[in-house]
Amino acid sequence: MDQIERRAFMKGAGLGALAFTVGGAEILLTPSEARAQGVPFRLLNANEGETIEALGETLVPGARSAGIAHFIDHQIAAPPEQALLQARIMNVRPPFANFYRAAIGAVDRGSEKVTGRKFAALSTTDQRDFVNNMRQNKIEGWTGPSGGFVYTILRSDAVDVVYGTMEGYAALGIPYQAHIVPTKRW
Amino acid sequence: MANEKVDVVIVGAGASGSVYASVLAKAGKKVVLLEAGPDWQMSDLISSEMWGRRIRPAGAPFLLEGKNPFGYAGQAGWGVGGAALHYFANHPRFLPNDYKIKSEHNRALDWPISYQDVAPFYDKVAHDIGMSGDAKAEEKWRPAGQSYPMPPMKTFRHGEIWVKGFESLGIRMVPAPVAMNSTEFKGRPACIYDGWCHVGCPTGALANPTVTYLSEARKAKAEVRALCSVTRVLTNAQGTKVAGVEYYDEKKVRQVQEANVVVLAAWSGQNSRLLLNSATDKHSKGLNNSNGLVGKYMMTHSIAGINAIFDEDIQNHLGTIGAQYMSYDRYGKTSYKDAFGSTYITCGAAQKTHDFASTRPDLFGPDLHDYMKRAARGFTRISMFGEGLPNIENRIELASDKDEFGMPLGRLTHSFDQDAVALWNANLEEGQKAAKAAGAKEVWVGRAAIPTTHLHGGTIMGTDAANSVVNSFGQCHELPNLYVAGPSIFPTEGASNPTYTILAVSLRGAEQLAAKWATVAG
Repeated sequence: MDQIERRAFMKGAGLGALAFTVGGAEILLTPSEARAQGVPFRLLNANEGETIEALGETLVPGARSAGIAHFIDHQIAAPPEQALLQARIMNVRPPFANFYRAAIGAVDRGSEKVTGRKFAALSTTDQRDFVNNMRQNKIEGWTGPSGGFVYTILRSDAVDVVYGTMEGYAALGIPYQAHIVPTKRW
Repeated sequence: MANEKVDVVIVGAGASGSVYASVLAKAGKKVVLLEAGPDWQMSDLISSEMWGRRIRPAGAPFLLEGKNPFGYAGQAGWGVGGAALHYFANHPRFLPNDYKIKSEHNRALDWPISYQDVAPFYDKVAHDIGMSGDAKAEEKWRPAGQSYPMPPMKTFRHGEIWVKGFESLGIRMVPAPVAMNSTEFKGRPACIYDGWCHVGCPTGALANPTVTYLSEARKAKAEVRALCSVTRVLTNAQGTKVAGVEYYDEKKVRQVQEANVVVLAAWSGQNSRLLLNSATDKHSKGLNNSNGLVGKYMMTHSIAGINAIFDEDIQNHLGTIGAQYMSYDRYGKTSYKDAFGSTYITCGAAQKTHDFASTRPDLFGPDLHDYMKRAARGFTRISMFGEGLPNIENRIELASDKDEFGMPLGRLTHSFDQDAVALWNANLEEGQKAAKAAGAKEVWVGRAAIPTTHLHGGTIMGTDAANSVVNSFGQCHELPNLYVAGPSIFPTEGASNPTYTILAVSLRGAEQLAAKWATVAG
């Protein structure tokens, strides 16, 4: 192979974009941009999206505006082998939508049992208390995937969208130093 | 549908399969490699933790059970290059004591060969693929051999900072041997130390199979068929020889590839799964499984991870995902009073944001963000790999659940025994002492679960059919034209990262096969 410089790889980048459908056309957006533009979910319903955003924001501040719900929605709608989710590394069996639906349902059922309200409707303090108990499998009457596992997967998704991006690295003051740059700073 | 018969069909285009393909194609054999995943190109290897997940399986083809289930999907590969497309390229070798545990300690198993049998192939591999390190510095622990073709890699503060701490415990750290280029090698560039190795190195500085043995195999006309999932190994009517394999192609169409020789190089676990799923009336328990040992003796390493934050900017984003320094000073099987097994010590791997986050899984919300800011500046860690001894109860079986091709999933049961748990705990204690001696401001370890890494066993080698599945070359005892390659044939696992030994043992097996081709394939 010829001598390769980082700049040459960066120039050739172009494989990292996520394709969202807007007005019948596919365009490349970050999940954050997709959220800001109100791109409709592919698989999630509005309630599910709301729960994911509330849970993501509790786990990692900034996950809501970084588009965690659009990220997950996009990924669970894709063929499993194309998914970028940590779920594939954690041996979740595809289709991944099944796990996320079960996880969201478990969170809201658990929240309603404990507080009488869905998770997204809780105060910030109550959301934090709930998540702290969930991660330790201490929610009474919990049903569905274990609270600890739901915490691990959703926390990882939130880390992905907040700290795993080029913007996230920049916010922490870390040079990203890509060989091949994910497009759209994703 | 039948394809034109070939000399050899190799199942899996990862580390071991690529070695066989290179040797046999160069020997003039018509070679086909069947790879379940895509034919990744260098330009696919995006520098991103998230995008890097695509080169791993989407869910394991195994049900993972036992007290210490193996973390399959994070370790495995999916596509050409296999797991070695995203491996850390740490290339320590096994030491002489790994090959003779039974003889020296009356524990575990012996290999049917010794270090001296493999040593020439370690040297060959190093010069075939390119390795950087300081062989002389390692010779305080092992017999002398050839120098590595390249000097050690550059070091950085987040690795250097550990050395004195270890020295205070009598642990000598030396440059880690890695399959990465510290200088240009065979037309491949020197490393640029960006730390994205684990999602696939697109420059060719890291010696993954696609730029080494598989590249050579392709130049010698070996054919790679991607997205082809092998489901069975086929035999002749008498059940005395293998005749080829059944697979499903990119369009999910059933195919048969006949061959004079079959090489299973589909990683530990999958090799056993294939043999078990290939049962016939002549091989009712699965191919080459009269003794019931196929799928047995699965082993993994434990990882004792010691996390630390130093009160200075140690630039942990620089370097490679491989180690900067290593030590064999706890490699003796009885290094710790109340534990048994070897330990391989490393430090100085580059860190990314996901690494920070995963080392404090208890933190979330603003607490996590505060930690991330501290970690970005001062986080680094030690990794101490601990040996697990072969235990027949750690095994692969076929499950009742099936995959999309109707092939039963595997069930991988793995539990560490008391020795392995004691070794992990001893390593955690030793590592924390080193971290404190190094002056770390914060030191912590995770004890919620024992991390597993590097899967071995399932088709172990031995002296005869009574105690093993294959001989020391990977040739099956019952079906002489069937070979098995990779860490599945290791009867013990040492504590060293396995890929260097995988390549060396595969090269030994492939050269033997080429030399005895007429006898084996005739």
